[in-house]
Amino acid sequence: MRYFIYISVFTFLLFSACRKTINVKLPEYTEKLVVEASIETGQPATVLLSVTAPYFGNVDLSDPTKFFVKGAFVTVSDGSNTDTLKELFPAEGYIYLGSTVIGQVGKTYNLTIHYNGKSYSATTSIRSPIALDSIYAKYEKDSLTFCWGHLTDPAGLGDCYRWFAKRQGDQSFAAPFNSSFDDKFVDGKSFDFGYERPPQPGKQEEYDHEPDVSRGYYRVGDTVVVKFCTIGYNEYLFWRSYYANKASNGNPFAAPSNLQNTIQGDASIGAFCGYSPSFDTLVIKPKP
Amino acid sequence: MKSNACRFGIAGEMIDFTIDAAVNLIKSTTNLLLLSFLKNLRVIFIFSLLSGFTAMAQNFTISGYVKDSRNGESAIGANVYVKELMKGASTNVYGFYSLTLPAGTYTLQCSYVGFQTFSKVIELNKNLSEQISLLPEETTLNEVEVVSEKTDQNVQSTQMSSVQLDVAQIKKLPAFMGEVDILKTIQLIPGVKSAGDGNTGFYVRGGGPDQNLILLDEATIYNASHLMGFFSIFNGDAIKNVNLIKGGMPSQYGGRLSSVLDVSMKEGNSQKFQVDGGIGIIASRLTIQGPIKKDKASFIISARRTYADVIAKPFMKHTDFAGTSYYFYDLNAKLNYQINDKNRLFLSAYFGRDIFKYNNDGFTAKIPWGNATACLRWNHLFNAKLFSNLSVVYSKYDFSFTAAQDNFELTLFSGIKDWNVKYDVNYFPNTRHNVKVGVNYIFHTFTPSNVSAKQGEVKFDIGRVIRLYSHDAAIYVSDDWEVTDRIKVNAGLRFGYFAQVGPFTRYKKNDFGKTIDTVVYAPGKKVADYNGLEPRLSFRYSLSRTLSLKASYTRNFQYIHLASISSVSLPTDVWMPCTELIKPQIGNQYAFGVFKNFNHDMFESSVEVYYKDMKNQIDYKEGAEPQDNVFDNPDNAFTYGKGWAYGAEFFLKKRTGKFTGWIGYTLSWTWRQFDAINYGKKYLAKYDRRHDASVVITYDHNKKWNFGLIWVYGTGNRGTLPSALFAYEGSVSNDYGLRNSYKFPDYHRLDLSVTYTPDREKQIEKKRARITRRYERRGKDMSNINLPKWWAKNYQSSWTLSIFNAYNRYNPYFIYFDTSGDFLSGTFTVKAKQVSLFPVLPTITWNFKF
Repeated sequence: MRYFIYISVFTFLLFSACRKTINVKLPEYTEKLVVEASIETGQPATVLLSVTAPYFGNVDLSDPTKFFVKGAFVTVSDGSNTDTLKELFPAEGYIYLGSTVIGQVGKTYNLTIHYNGKSYSATTSIRSPIALDSIYAKYEKDSLTFCWGHLTDPAGLGDCYRWFAKRQGDQSFAAPFNSSFDDKFVDGKSFDFGYERPPQPGKQEEYDHEPDVSRGYYRVGDTVVVKFCTIGYNEYLFWRSYYANKASNGNPFAAPSNLQNTIQGDASIGAFCGYSPSFDTLVIKPKP
Repeated sequence: MKSNACRFGIAGEMIDFTIDAAVNLIKSTTNLLLLSFLKNLRVIFIFSLLSGFTAMAQNFTISGYVKDSRNGESAIGANVYVKELMKGASTNVYGFYSLTLPAGTYTLQCSYVGFQTFSKVIELNKNLSEQISLLPEETTLNEVEVVSEKTDQNVQSTQMSSVQLDVAQIKKLPAFMGEVDILKTIQLIPGVKSAGDGNTGFYVRGGGPDQNLILLDEATIYNASHLMGFFSIFNGDAIKNVNLIKGGMPSQYGGRLSSVLDVSMKEGNSQKFQVDGGIGIIASRLTIQGPIKKDKASFIISARRTYADVIAKPFMKHTDFAGTSYYFYDLNAKLNYQINDKNRLFLSAYFGRDIFKYNNDGFTAKIPWGNATACLRWNHLFNAKLFSNLSVVYSKYDFSFTAAQDNFELTLFSGIKDWNVKYDVNYFPNTRHNVKVGVNYIFHTFTPSNVSAKQGEVKFDIGRVIRLYSHDAAIYVSDDWEVTDRIKVNAGLRFGYFAQVGPFTRYKKNDFGKTIDTVVYAPGKKVADYNGLEPRLSFRYSLSRTLSLKASYTRNFQYIHLASISSVSLPTDVWMPCTELIKPQIGNQYAFGVFKNFNHDMFESSVEVYYKDMKNQIDYKEGAEPQDNVFDNPDNAFTYGKGWAYGAEFFLKKRTGKFTGWIGYTLSWTWRQFDAINYGKKYLAKYDRRHDASVVITYDHNKKWNFGLIWVYGTGNRGTLPSALFAYEGSVSNDYGLRNSYKFPDYHRLDLSVTYTPDREKQIEKKRARITRRYERRGKDMSNINLPKWWAKNYQSSWTLSIFNAYNRYNPYFIYFDTSGDFLSGTFTVKAKQVSLFPVLPTITWNFKF
């Protein structure tokens, strides 16, 4: 018996890797403009502008406002009207909001940004919404559940989707990991799919500190609102690459992948995404 | 090479200039040597015809097989020569030799490392058949006595850039986890780089892992690794000989750009029944071999299986790993039958599988993968000068992955299957020529990754199973020709033809990935075809018996590609044939070398320089997903580029004596350039390694004890790490820097081993003494002392202690950034972490034989 214990300890040693913190000398870093732009049915355009930060430079990462972009000239046009976006907090920059051009199904929008003597642009459209047939809870544990949806995909390839959700009381809608998919595998089919509860934007740390057993679940008593959006193919490719980028850190088997940006312009990252949402609400009841 | 103009200022330019000059020197010297040879070809040809003609009138042939006297195994590459003329040949892969000489009385000699030199006086006045049986060299033999007046292969053959290893030698070296592994030994040779810690993948002179032709008894092995590459599929007990060719491949080998690894299985002991086995820390082995009919037919069966899963099971019962199990096994079998003096049959087979199972909380996964090969060979001797071989080979590699949760099930599978027929004729007209002519035809069936998925009764539309079919044919000829006593040439030509045929559906895509057209090809209809001429030329010029210069030029076509999403060789990698989008890989290699033996051939040394270019390399486009080929073709996700590599290799080997082993050093550069990667700029390949060194030593102290040591050092791999971060939707994403712009920390490691073989005779003596004493005490009749049956057997055992990574170096396997906190709330922190796989690992293995 003792022999077996030795061997199992040994096997464990074999497959447990050794980790240590090291100093890395990273390749040179070029600052890039990061554009997070969207327009949604019934809403004006929102554009968040920042610049990339070096991982191990002599830069203090504890003050994110240093990387916010102030004083950029941002416009969104629907072909006939042009809306000049205004900074929500002119002292900080970062958030630029539109007011006159409001998202409408079927329209195409052009985004232009002038900053530091350079120009950037992107185009997106708002497609027809495709609503979920229903949403429901599927209990993983007695009082905990993921949120599931039933969707009938219209025939014809090229439908792309993105899922957002929030609980009553949450500040904003948030998208879970791999929240975007297309209909390559499911064209014209009826099927079910589920997502975990995502962290609120900027609240990753809080989310990580939740107890393991309930992290990612909805509880009995939660009211969940799902915003299910149709998006364009290029926007879908962008979100797919966004999640691949997240998954590639620390994975020795994944190829490093940068984002498939829809923003045109030198040294820039990001996309302009048109969302066509439909909403569903679910109150999580005790397991029958 | 202008593009080398460089960023490091004047010093950098000097380095680049020197490299450019050196590369040009390699090319021009090689060309010059080959050119001067071609210019004189006419003169030489007439001369040799005349000499051949004049000699023809009174020539006779002596031919036969060279064998190991202990077990009847044929000796590959043994030197057979006549002392008086210093003329000879080496045995082919079946142990056959043929010498055609003027009539006379000669001393026929045969030498082979590890064996006593065979010597016999022969009267050559008619065609003779001489079977040579070699006696093993005594280990106690005085070092100075190992002198044979033979022509040495290393210096005298035209083949350069090649290494032949004997498995008996490999077994004395430290082994990772106690598993003797020929691929890991291959990685210790200059010009061959390992993929990383404990990995069996190898990269030859800047070539990719798919550019190595790995043959096990003529059957192509498509994935030579177990357990993500930690072990190779070659079970040391079933393997006899390993030959690696890094450059100047003879024309009978084709289909790969960078190297040929020719592995021969043992034939099975034709003298007596024998059982070998071993119990190691992770696996056990058992080999049974013996004669079916003495000197006529023999067999060998060898099996190996890991048992970590069996041992670990009770301990994982109540843990998260309860449903996890992993194991692999190998089976090798070979039969050989000598029908008569002129005909011989070999049937060899290999079957190996890795099986990984996972079952937890309703989620199950099963991932089996492996190779299967079978090969039937027929050696036929038309006459003493004309040897032929017909091979029919089947080889297959497949991978599948099935995952299920609730009522959802997903299966992913891929693979490759070959039917292969090869016919070779080997003609030995006289001692100056060795002519080989052959044809080869392969029918490939490729299954690039396919997916099937269902949820309850709803089957997802994954499209039809995609299979790609192709014909792969070649014809080749070569002559190893001793033009004068100083000049020897191996001139060869290979012509290859490759065609992809239907059934096949091509999905044409626009820039947005939408299908704009589909083209359907009927079964057997040609989709695309390619062909090419591959000249091979090797040249040797002897300055003396122990010193020669060699040059070679090789052009290779490779019609199949391995598409790998990660830089580690994984079972999920997909083999793809040439299609109308994927062009054949084309490689040109120029090599030049100086070869010198010292101290009566006790030491072998060489310095080689090489330059290699590779066209039509493939890689995935940035951000492409490999399994994504629904209503799509896998090649739509590829991008095309080129590669080039150059370097110098230094090798010093001590072949005989108590201390044996080698020291190797390589200085090299490896570049890649793809339109759609790294903004089209050239970049260093992941396995670019400026410095690579290895020291390999075995020391046979006496019959009881022997020791082994391996030390390796290599410049760190290249990798791509994020250079900057940014917040997007409130969480941190990475902005990666230029491709492979980060150099990992250097790799180095020391392995040690000790083998203890108890002296059987002494043990028997002791036992006999004990029994004698007992008989004495009891006053029994002493004239008839019988040992128990077990002791009478010819039984042998040994213990090997291997220490992997003896000084516990933390070599980098990968590096990741460990982040915590939120960027937007200013609590974000990041640390770079290095993950190393193996600390110091001692293992003990018990081997037995009877």
